[in-house]
Amino acid sequence: MIPLSHFMIISAALFCIGLYAVLSKRSAIMILIGIEFMLNAAILNFVAFSRYDKFAAGGQTFALFAIVLAAAAVAVALAIILNVYGYYKTIDPTQIDQLRD
Amino acid sequence: MSEMLPYIAGLLRDVLSGIPHLMPELILACTFIVVILTDLFFKGKDSAATFWLCLTGLTASFAVTLLPSHQSQSGHLIFGNTLFADRLSIVFKQIFYFVILFFAVFVKFSPQFRKHSKGAGDLYILLPVILLGLNLMSMASSLLLIYLSVEMISIASYLMVGYVSGTSRQTEAAMKYVLFGSACSAMMLYGMSLLYAFTGTLNVAEPQFLQRLSQMPSLAGNVAVGLVLVGIGFKLSFVPLHFWSPDVYEGAPTTVTAFLSTGPKIAGFAILVRFTESLSPQGGGMPVFDFQGVLSAVAILSMLAGNFTAVWQDNIKRMLAYSSIGHTGFILMAVIVHSQQGLKPLLFYLLIYAIMNMAAFILAGRIEDQTGAVSIREYKGLGRYMKLEMVCFVVILISLTGLPPLAGFMAKFLVFSSVLENYSVTHSGWLLALLITAAVTTVVSLFYYFKVPLNAFLRQSEGKPVAPVKPDFLSVIILILTSLLLLWGIFPGLIA
Repeated sequence: MIPLSHFMIISAALFCIGLYAVLSKRSAIMILIGIEFMLNAAILNFVAFSRYDKFAAGGQTFALFAIVLAAAAVAVALAIILNVYGYYKTIDPTQIDQLRD
Repeated sequence: MSEMLPYIAGLLRDVLSGIPHLMPELILACTFIVVILTDLFFKGKDSAATFWLCLTGLTASFAVTLLPSHQSQSGHLIFGNTLFADRLSIVFKQIFYFVILFFAVFVKFSPQFRKHSKGAGDLYILLPVILLGLNLMSMASSLLLIYLSVEMISIASYLMVGYVSGTSRQTEAAMKYVLFGSACSAMMLYGMSLLYAFTGTLNVAEPQFLQRLSQMPSLAGNVAVGLVLVGIGFKLSFVPLHFWSPDVYEGAPTTVTAFLSTGPKIAGFAILVRFTESLSPQGGGMPVFDFQGVLSAVAILSMLAGNFTAVWQDNIKRMLAYSSIGHTGFILMAVIVHSQQGLKPLLFYLLIYAIMNMAAFILAGRIEDQTGAVSIREYKGLGRYMKLEMVCFVVILISLTGLPPLAGFMAKFLVFSSVLENYSVTHSGWLLALLITAAVTTVVSLFYYFKVPLNAFLRQSEGKPVAPVKPDFLSVIILILTSLLLLWGIFPGLIA
């Protein structure tokens, strides 16, 4: 039996890697991958802790919903990034800055 | 599996007894499917069939909300304690219905959407889903439904901001919105997973939730609640999380901006109220999270940043975006004191805020469509050509400032007096700071709101004169909204 703390450590590590990618990467696609890391960290937590919630299985259900919603959000995000590429010929968010104060 | 068999009958009975409370939402889900099929096969000219069918579905769902049987049954939790069916959610649903209704009409009359090669049909399809998401946000009591409804609104909003994509700025706004939004919702999801890990339940309203959370080390609990607040804060666009809103409001089609600044924000307040309520211990005890301190700091910063930055803005939509950040800070004051005073000031402010912001953005959009003016400098002399629009605009801006005799004044007055009353009892330093900031920033807001009438009426236009604009159906709606502000400002008792 793997203790629950191991799952928590892995998910915290995944979350931090994802957050680092979101803050530091210079490509919209890489930022999306970072967001996906953060989502999967949360999903791992949900699945691991639903061991104590066998009857309602809330964590398992939540994990399924989160996976589907993440896929939907990524599909929309990729379509928007494709549109951006059509106008700017780059997907580096630091160079796409026509809107600012 | 077999050990669950005895419970199945009870679970089924629970689900069946909840269905009558969920009728408005079920109607919306059916409308969604019917509207998709209609838009595929019987589009009609300008997606007219889709539009009218969509409006019928929305109105039917609203009518069911108003039924006396629906109202009297309210006041408890349904579907295995995952949804609140109470007075509060019904009030919020009524506000949401009118926001979506006006949004639909504005889209119908927006040349940007009518001239678009795809047409506006796909946007009408989104409307029932958005209303469904907003309704669920006002009812949600389980973490799963909070996340689900927030994401429903977010994904639909990303699509709407990027819908036209006619210029590079519009795609840029959509990309900033989707990246910032997904990152915030991922943080919220991680916070929720931590809350689930600490408490073993997804249901915020259960006593077990608060009880187990207060047994955790305070740092762990604070991190988890703080991460969930990040997701809610993105919807509210309060200060550390407001960076997206001026860019998105400026870049998005103005009709969509009118919706973004009202619907999701009001729903965000609904969730914030429920969340703070269920995490505040009844009858004393150590609070798990210092909501009063954190929300007060956020509210003060929002009011300062929103109102002071708005003074430097020249683009009208950017100015309104910063002003709406300032208003968020003001509304947060009502959330901070709501447990003592009831929700009346908050609900009144939200309703008036929805009317004011919708009308202001629609007028900005209309002026842009007719004359091409997007910055306040270009408004010079427009008061002579667009008399009705400019007079309404000035009335709405005075109401946004919060001057009598308009409804904006009554809304601010109610919030202000409830905070003052609370301060005279508790003598909390946070409340005093809030009151001072609110008073100072209201004065500051005069400077930027009054730039519009200054340019429109008191300065001469430099360019060539614009042809006088003929009034149409949209002018009638704007006139109705403006007169509502005047009516409710003088007789606030008319809102039950």
